Amino acid sequence: MSPNSAGRAEKLGYTNVKVYHEGLPEWLKKNHAVLSPQFLKEAWIDKDIPHVLLDVRSAKDAEKGFIKGAVTLPAGTVEKSLAKLPPKDKKAPIIIYDDKGGDAAIKAAKTLISAGYMPVDIMTGGFAAWKSAGFPEETGKLATNIVYVPKPRPGEISIEEFTRIAMNTPPDVLILDVRNQDEGNEGMIKGAKLVPDEEILARLADIPKDKLIVAHCNTGIRAEMAYHKLKEKGYNAKFLNAVVSVDKDGKFEITK
Amino acid sequence: MLLAIGLIMPTGFAASEEAAPQQKPAIAKLCTNCHKAEPGNLRGNFDIVAYKSQSIQIKIDDITEVLKFDKNTLKTQNIQAPADSPDEPLRALKKGKEVRIEYFEKDGVKVATLLSAKPTIKVAPEKQISTAEVERLVAMGPDKGKYLLIDARPAPRFMEGAIPTAINIPFPAFEKMVDKLPKDKNALIVYYCAGMT
Repeated sequence: MSPNSAGRAEKLGYTNVKVYHEGLPEWLKKNHAVLSPQFLKEAWIDKDIPHVLLDVRSAKDAEKGFIKGAVTLPAGTVEKSLAKLPPKDKKAPIIIYDDKGGDAAIKAAKTLISAGYMPVDIMTGGFAAWKSAGFPEETGKLATNIVYVPKPRPGEISIEEFTRIAMNTPPDVLILDVRNQDEGNEGMIKGAKLVPDEEILARLADIPKDKLIVAHCNTGIRAEMAYHKLKEKGYNAKFLNAVVSVDKDGKFEITK
Repeated sequence: MLLAIGLIMPTGFAASEEAAPQQKPAIAKLCTNCHKAEPGNLRGNFDIVAYKSQSIQIKIDDITEVLKFDKNTLKTQNIQAPADSPDEPLRALKKGKEVRIEYFEKDGVKVATLLSAKPTIKVAPEKQISTAEVERLVAMGPDKGKYLLIDARPAPRFMEGAIPTAINIPFPAFEKMVDKLPKDKNALIVYYCAGMT
């Protein structure tokens, strides 16, 4: 989109138009991004988009008023607290604020970015700006543990719930193994029915409409496609978005 | 100013909504900036692929489409197969990559015959600006650095976080927001978006 915009600006007669072609993904490898208190509220908090919100003021200051959901992590302690953060490969969005959007937030952001975390955002103007925008504040003790749960994909069943069902499948539930026959021959979950993902639409008659259908494969990918196909055909369905291995005795192992 | 941006985006999208009268859209709203819906074609974002069941899943805005393909006959465009799986080119696609699919429908199943990834737009080297140079400008600020940094992504993306000192002029809103551009036609304008998509 930026090259197109640049082209249009040049057509209007602008003579010094540049394109930062690597764009935001490259920027975030070495730098923080920014967002206003309004955007933190509207783009993240109100939409319930999973993120990590760090209050880098002293715990004493933060307790007098903070943003709901924030975890206290005073700027000076970020370096030694890295183990508390979600693993880097989760790419959890980290949003930092301090008192007025000054050095404390920048220091904390730098520590996180040089440790390999991204994206890291700073809320401009700090808590003072949040407050003067009239947004709600909490008082008292802040959370000290960071909890980050990525948003499940539509139709996803939790590993816990799947395991419960697989150990003891209720009569109104069917576990649908959507792997290929040769994979199923290596072992299947007890009580599961195998209909390869490829064959689902041709074999709808084999899949009961009066049961909750819980699809699994070995990675979650075919299971998700099966889920979408079944849902479109009016089934009540879910899928397991995880790596599954099943042995000859039907013993299974699930890892995310 | 930022509030005004929020107001402009929905109107920018309304026009494209009218352009897709079908119940199940064949083209994602963002693609309608440059393309129209065509029969036998889908335009949206790549989601996942399963070679074991020869199926591909794409997103067209909130809609998920699953299509079959035949790995022996599927044609691809602008896709370089990964070195470790030369026979499975679709594995090179990143989630969210803009794609066009040609397909036919048989027994209620959509079968893809061609998958074309959006080519990277080429930018002449002299028109490009490096990360180091953008860092230098941002450190000075727009007044001292004499620049205007423009984020061309959609407003919801800009709101999630942007390069410091940037303003948001989404590409579809270019005309409507033309007054945000500098008066001086020789002023430095730097555009960026979500990278080489």
